[in-house]
Amino acid sequence: MFLIIHFIGVRYLLIVFLLCSGWLNTSAQDCNLTLKGHVEDSDTKDQLSGATVIIRSINREVTTDDNGDFTFMKLCPGTYELEVTHVGCEPISQTVAIEKNTHIDLLLPHLKNNLQEVIVSGTKQLTNTGFKQELSGTRLEQASGLSLAEALAKLNGVTMLQTGSTIAKPVIHGLHSNRILTINNGVRQEGQQWGNEHAPEIDPFIADKLIVIKGVDELKYGSDAIGGVILVDPKPLRYLPGNHGEINTVYFTNNNEYVVSGVYEQQLKKMPAFSYRLQGTFKRGANVRTPDYRLNNTALQEENFSVTVGWKKEHYNLEAFYSQFHTKAGIFTGSHIGNLTDLKEAIAAPKPDDIFLNEKGYEISRPNQEVSHRLFKLRSNLYKGANKFQLTMAAQYNERKEYDIVRSSTNLKPQLNLSILTLTEDLSWEHPSVFNLKGTAGISFMQQDNSYTGRYFIPHYISATYGGYWLEKWKKEKWDIQAGIRYDYKAFSTQRLRNAVLTSHDFDFSTLGASLNTAYTIRPDMHVNVNLSHASRAPHVNELLSDGIHHGTATYEVGDINLSPEKSYNLSVGFDYANARKTFTAELTLYNNYIRDFIYQQPKPDEPVLTIAGAFPKIVYEQTNALLRGFDAAFSYHFLKQLALSSKASVLRAYNRNIDDWLISMPADRISNELVYTFKGNEHVSEPYVGLELANVFKQSRVPGDKFGKQDYKEPPPAYNLVNLNAAVTLRFGKHPFTLGAGVHNLLNTSYREYLNSFRYYVDEAGRNVQLRLKFSF
Amino acid sequence: MNYDSNFKTQYMKKYFGNFTIAIALMLFLNACSKEVAEEDNDNEVVTTLELHIMERVTFNHFIYKFDDPDGFGAGSAAPVIDVIRLSPNKVYDVELKLFNKTANPVEDVTAEVEEEGADHRFYYLPSTSSNITVNNFSNDGNGVPVGIMSTWTTGAKGAGKIRIVLRHYPNGSKATDDPVDSPKSSTDVDTEFTTSVE
Repeated sequence: MFLIIHFIGVRYLLIVFLLCSGWLNTSAQDCNLTLKGHVEDSDTKDQLSGATVIIRSINREVTTDDNGDFTFMKLCPGTYELEVTHVGCEPISQTVAIEKNTHIDLLLPHLKNNLQEVIVSGTKQLTNTGFKQELSGTRLEQASGLSLAEALAKLNGVTMLQTGSTIAKPVIHGLHSNRILTINNGVRQEGQQWGNEHAPEIDPFIADKLIVIKGVDELKYGSDAIGGVILVDPKPLRYLPGNHGEINTVYFTNNNEYVVSGVYEQQLKKMPAFSYRLQGTFKRGANVRTPDYRLNNTALQEENFSVTVGWKKEHYNLEAFYSQFHTKAGIFTGSHIGNLTDLKEAIAAPKPDDIFLNEKGYEISRPNQEVSHRLFKLRSNLYKGANKFQLTMAAQYNERKEYDIVRSSTNLKPQLNLSILTLTEDLSWEHPSVFNLKGTAGISFMQQDNSYTGRYFIPHYISATYGGYWLEKWKKEKWDIQAGIRYDYKAFSTQRLRNAVLTSHDFDFSTLGASLNTAYTIRPDMHVNVNLSHASRAPHVNELLSDGIHHGTATYEVGDINLSPEKSYNLSVGFDYANARKTFTAELTLYNNYIRDFIYQQPKPDEPVLTIAGAFPKIVYEQTNALLRGFDAAFSYHFLKQLALSSKASVLRAYNRNIDDWLISMPADRISNELVYTFKGNEHVSEPYVGLELANVFKQSRVPGDKFGKQDYKEPPPAYNLVNLNAAVTLRFGKHPFTLGAGVHNLLNTSYREYLNSFRYYVDEAGRNVQLRLKFSF
Repeated sequence: MNYDSNFKTQYMKKYFGNFTIAIALMLFLNACSKEVAEEDNDNEVVTTLELHIMERVTFNHFIYKFDDPDGFGAGSAAPVIDVIRLSPNKVYDVELKLFNKTANPVEDVTAEVEEEGADHRFYYLPSTSSNITVNNFSNDGNGVPVGIMSTWTTGAKGAGKIRIVLRHYPNGSKATDDPVDSPKSSTDVDTEFTTSVE
């Protein structure tokens, strides 16, 4: 703590702490109270599992378990308003005053006019018992203002694939892009996700939870989730009269980035069936600074908004959602590479030329990329007895423009311009519980139309995908078994018009996905979980037909129309344990993912492509049998009541079995240790904490050798260690809580480079970055 | 039971009413989409570099070129690169021209380079054995060489190579002393011709 006083950005943080400690001295009470409760149907006295209990004032939400029980931990003394909702019941709101650990029984009345057979238990699906990691609450708040990938990278086993500081996409257990499905508000996100420098087009402020799952539930979204599924889940719409709003502001010192995000939701008393929510985010950042220099043209800006409206009746509900995402991100000027010679010179230089450095400001010039994504979704649930039918229809339009450095300043056109329209229709049926079996069957249909103007990289295409799935979940006593299967048929035709010659190709692929998950409860706080899953993914158009220069890497990328689908066979074993007092928790996940016909890029150094700008090394798509195995481990230990240590480790080994060598571009092993001290709070100050994290990333020494020519231009960067800091406090005046938070990334301003950032060839990663955040609820 | 089925009809109507609207919307959106690909249009591509060479005394002139009229990549023909043949002990005035032949009509890229002369520079790098020296470059508006015009002087007979490079400097940062591999600039054109002074 003495050290950091010297750092300029940190003084704000100290002010926050001084402010807090002033409050803390007056505190006498402790914010470690527990509220337990039980939810029942007031008429049938059935235990209501899957009921949602929300305390909006502190933004916490829990779901009742199979016995209808719920728990809120770490509450401060005070009065809270609980909102309880359950399918088929009237929502209720109940005020509860908490002075000590409390238990409360809540009775939910049936919906009025409910003359049909009773819909109570059995409508809520069992949760996915496969592998699940969730970022919500405090940890999601710590990520506020960051991009979706940066937020997800806080989860163990998730890393990032970056292009400089402005573009990042998530990597799960070494896999990314088309091997991961991102489900935005229940809809499979479809853009140009195949590209390494194409980040997901989602505003993380939409989400109340970011969840990474592996298990049977992923079959609802596709048979191709080889790496897993990311769920971006918003909070359910409010169905209690009243309104609620929240404003989040974030400021980052490194690049003078500011973020403002607001959400407002309302439910009118006069129209109990109707509810709506408005949400928007604005973000603007200037050029990013590494410890030794500032990088020109690394500014970014983003404007997003979304509108949700809902109509909820006893037997059906409807939800319409529209969101618009728009971003413009500068790409460091010094990374513009004309040919291989340029690249080698840039790599040889210890730092970029001064002409590319040390400009401040928010201006974005070439090269840059501008991406917009619009999503319109209509979802309807229909309840018939204990059956639930769901129809989701969505239209997405994604437009991507890449602006390269051009010869003439009068050329205002993008050099690459891709647009894709995706229409999806999904229909599902959840059947009533039979012999402890709950299940869902569904069909889905997707149409896509992709077009381009300007430079060719991937062709124009239209595609149609038809899929069907069936999942069953069975639970009895200590056993929980889930199984599912899915089949997809995808057909597409591509076109390219070049020098007045039209080239067309037709493809069709059948893919199968299946998953079997068995969970066993050894003791109430000890579980073991075994998942066996199969996923297959049809090659994407870029893998089949890309043809062009990849400017960042100075390679000539060529697709192969003879590729076949890749098929993964994944065995994962999970184990979790908590001691009786919950002061110690541990989690371990082991995975072994064998991927047949894994599609990857193989450099062909002996077959350069000669152009007028020089010769470019060719890189082609090939298939191999790959084996990705590793583990994620985490434990946390409260060795004092207020002091906890959390540690996590993530290790991956990725082999190319056909050539008996390592796979390129896989995340290095990493471990992280965080000490968190939680202060005592009172009715005005709740849960102040300070956490100090030490993150160690090892050097990736497992890279392919030179057997088939040189595979990379530069050796992976050395290991690095980062010190990060996190702190927050929620203050409450009257009814309005506001949360002050601060985080420092790279506290010691360490110079380092990350293997999975393609700019590791040219520049260091960003230096110290202090994040200051303020959240206000009303 | 009777009431029940009535109720059902009611909500089914409501439900499927919305469904119909959505389907109509989908079909409408789908109808808007283009069915045929547009012609590739890489507005930055250069396919052809021509050297218009004139001997000072005889005014004999000839054109040597690097020509890749259909561009590069899958299915395109390999570029044709002429051998530059010059006579010994002569002085030649050389004008360089760039074209994009994939555009229709053919685009004169030299004009663009000339307009943005402060950001561009051609470098001529003859090998020692070529017995060619290049100097007397044309300048941009700031008096810094841009090299669209140059003078080539031949010595005794010899065979070698000449590399011609066009470099792009950001924001007019080009200076007279900048070498071809200046870290400030990046490459737009980089070709090599075989030369023969015979």
